[in-house]
Amino acid sequence: MDLNKLRETAAGIVSREDVKYLIGWRRGTFGYRVSPYFIEDAAGVEELIFSPLCISNLATYLTLVERLPVPRGQQPDERKVALLVKGCDSRAVNQLLVEKGINRDRVIVVGLPCPGMVDWKLLAEKYPETEAPVEMRWQGDDFLLVHNGQEIVVPRAEALAEKCRLCRHPNPVISDATVGEPVQPWEPAEDSGVGEIEAKSAPERWAYWEEQFSKCLRCYSCRNVCPLCYCEDCILDRLNPTWVNRAFNFSENTAFHLARAFHLAGRCIECGECERVCPAGIPLGRLNRKLAKTVREEYGFEPGLDAEGEPFQASYRPEDPEEFIL
Amino acid sequence: MKNQGNPYIPHTATIVDTWYETGGERCIKTFKVVFDDPAVRESWSHRPGQCAMIGVLGVGESMISISSSPTEEGYLRFSVMKAGKVTTALHQLEAGDKMTVRGPYGNSFPVEEWKGKKILTIGGGIGQAPLRPIVEYVKANMKDYAGLTMIYGARTSGDLCFKNEFAEAAKCEGVCCHLSIDVAEEGWPHYVGFVPSLLMEVSPSPENTIAITCGPPIMIRFVLENLKKLNFADEQIYTTLENRMKCGIGKCGRCNAGHLYVCKDGPVFSYAQLKNVPEAFA
Amino acid sequence: MSAMLLPKDKWPEFTGRLAGKNLFAPALQGGIKKFAPVAAGDTVTLDEGNTTVPPKALLFPQTETLFRFAEGEEGMELPAIDEAAVLLGVRPCDARAMAIVDKLFRWDYEDPYYLKRRELATIIGLACSEPCLNCFCTSVGGGPASTEGLDILMVDLGESYLLEGLTDKGQALLDEFKDLLQEAGADALQRKEQLAQEAAAKIKRSVDTAGIPEALPGLWEDPLWQRVSAACLGCGICTYLCPTCHCFDIQDEVEGAAGRRCRMWDSCMYAEYTKHTSGHNPRPTRRERTRNRINHKYSYYVDKFGVIACVGCGRCSNLCPVNIDLIDILRQVKAAP
Repeated sequence: MDLNKLRETAAGIVSREDVKYLIGWRRGTFGYRVSPYFIEDAAGVEELIFSPLCISNLATYLTLVERLPVPRGQQPDERKVALLVKGCDSRAVNQLLVEKGINRDRVIVVGLPCPGMVDWKLLAEKYPETEAPVEMRWQGDDFLLVHNGQEIVVPRAEALAEKCRLCRHPNPVISDATVGEPVQPWEPAEDSGVGEIEAKSAPERWAYWEEQFSKCLRCYSCRNVCPLCYCEDCILDRLNPTWVNRAFNFSENTAFHLARAFHLAGRCIECGECERVCPAGIPLGRLNRKLAKTVREEYGFEPGLDAEGEPFQASYRPEDPEEFIL
Repeated sequence: MKNQGNPYIPHTATIVDTWYETGGERCIKTFKVVFDDPAVRESWSHRPGQCAMIGVLGVGESMISISSSPTEEGYLRFSVMKAGKVTTALHQLEAGDKMTVRGPYGNSFPVEEWKGKKILTIGGGIGQAPLRPIVEYVKANMKDYAGLTMIYGARTSGDLCFKNEFAEAAKCEGVCCHLSIDVAEEGWPHYVGFVPSLLMEVSPSPENTIAITCGPPIMIRFVLENLKKLNFADEQIYTTLENRMKCGIGKCGRCNAGHLYVCKDGPVFSYAQLKNVPEAFA
Repeated sequence: MSAMLLPKDKWPEFTGRLAGKNLFAPALQGGIKKFAPVAAGDTVTLDEGNTTVPPKALLFPQTETLFRFAEGEEGMELPAIDEAAVLLGVRPCDARAMAIVDKLFRWDYEDPYYLKRRELATIIGLACSEPCLNCFCTSVGGGPASTEGLDILMVDLGESYLLEGLTDKGQALLDEFKDLLQEAGADALQRKEQLAQEAAAKIKRSVDTAGIPEALPGLWEDPLWQRVSAACLGCGICTYLCPTCHCFDIQDEVEGAAGRRCRMWDSCMYAEYTKHTSGHNPRPTRRERTRNRINHKYSYYVDKFGVIACVGCGRCSNLCPVNIDLIDILRQVKAAP
């Protein structure tokens, strides 16, 4: 990855009068952490990075930023927002466009072909987090870790994030500018996580999810990080009527997760953020990928590939399978 | 009064009378309630300006100002605007139905300190409800105060609360009433315009006067500005705040404006206290 | 009060007997470390590090019933809180957090639920020897062997544990185990001091908190709040897993003709937390909410109760998925003009 080229591109974009800021990543404050970074002027691009640690999907900030009422006499800020996207992230942008959740004229998409990201938790056992932020780079097919001043080659298989092992779209599917050469897509691994669930009997599945949902803390980080969970008035926050009680127990927690999973069916672009942010380690990716897999295999539909396409739920065809309808 | 038992357990009270103050989608209904337990009736005491958590079991509770003065004995009054889940449920209640009450909570208007002074209330819409107890208290103890001036306005004449009481009060010696509505209506004999403008029209002297204001945040902001123009000192200006509350007893966290808990340190504050609290008028 | 030694070969018997006293200790449950009940026969292993979920969850459960009610019935039924419990292996930071939160729950109106559980719980602390990366207890008045909030402090001396009784409740518990314990000598106490100093020296991250409470009011409109909150997801991780965060919501649940009023953790980082019914929100964006979180801990609480409501456990920094790092925020507060 040519960081200079990226910073140059970013500087050009944020210098434009019609651009509010560019959302990218910068080195975090310690260990393996990387922080989403909002750049408002060309000077800010010096801290911009793109490394195997930039796993977070920045598309969520397109809808997360609060839209406050414009004070009387003032004009709304109509400037564009630019953001850096990997392949998976770009699908979220497309899906938001399909749903008219964002306006195409208001976003500038900077595509970054992605050789694959690291799940730092896989590394931390062997190379513990340090006070000083670590650096990582791609080196051939593998990763190079600079840890306590030492350069360590980490084999790809040792640290590649699960979502990247399963990735089918490492190159951005939408972009206004691309930095870097397209990467050669790799053969997606077998989804052993979903396979494990599919192999279970119904009672075993129930027991599995009961254990998982019981430990949910209801911190809503999965919902908030999800680029496609952007309802202004979320059913889960509704008090009147209260659809899901705030009480923390298996039943309410399950209602929460199932409501979210169903709302994401045919929309989830498998960026894996829900699972990454969960402090309780609930394998939410498996749940969402199972639904995505059903949509893909049964209906031949993959969301977020075509900004001009129609949403899954609006794409009924007479030949759609219906064996599961009782 | 410090609740000796479990502060989360409400008392049940029976509604003895209700009426609508205003109409429309966000109508205001007044409830007159009496505690079911004679011991609670006996021990209950509140001061003007305090609030209570009133509610419906199975729905929830809302912090509502006690709109009756302690000088009105034997019952409590609450005037409630229909807005959310709890207030909508309360609005379905009629005389004979039960509601729950716990409190009283918060501080109160320093009526003792104010003895010998002229009292000026400036209210807007439902904001008159927290001011009503001070009005009634001063009326009942007129000999202790140098006069009472009330400025009150609402969007339309149909949105004014306590209309009959204003008419009655105007007849009392030492009491002045000034009413306003935002837009002209046929047959409206009083002022037309916003409350802060009416305040300038009335132009009360700050001398030996305490001004108390309550209403929508935007109204409060302009009233404060105008009171300053009229040379009221910060210490002469009081307001009563509200914020979202759950516990009412300083535990649940949400009602703070800066370092002040509205439920415990308030709801009554002088402008001298609030002017440096950045969230107070947020 | 006494200082006793528990030889490690007596550990299984010690914990086995404690298990009969409604014992809770750190355990991995479905991949998440939290305080879990210990049954007779369970092995209790105290390893390094801290639990993801702080032990506050035992005294201030994520959801608890305040009372139950039923249609046509007078009065309300209160939950019984009458079972004594022993919490084993509580880190000194988390115990200090309890002592800090006690002040709030005792303030004026006493909170009977929290205080009853607190009274019924005997807290056995475990001094830290290997601080985690984001531990900064020594920056906020604590330390790896701080005793505040504890009934007994336990220190791993290698061959044995040193158990110091700190309160009558703690001492009474130690007295029950006299047969397993031996009097600790001056050398053991010396060793403890030495270990505590060594552990404190291993703390990597720190921030000079002096002056922060005084500086915060003047930084109300500082651009730092926009900067540090821009990436915030507005989720509840930092507050739910904070040992001093104590904010809650109250909701009613009804099933058929009966129901309960319950309270559950709430977070100042949620938009709904302060949103008025009218739709008006005094803290409309993540900027104001982040500012409130920091001010509540480092200014308002100091104002009201004379102590910073942060014990430097580092959970918020550790667990934030977008690297919103309290230590970094505090450093920015220090550096602000």
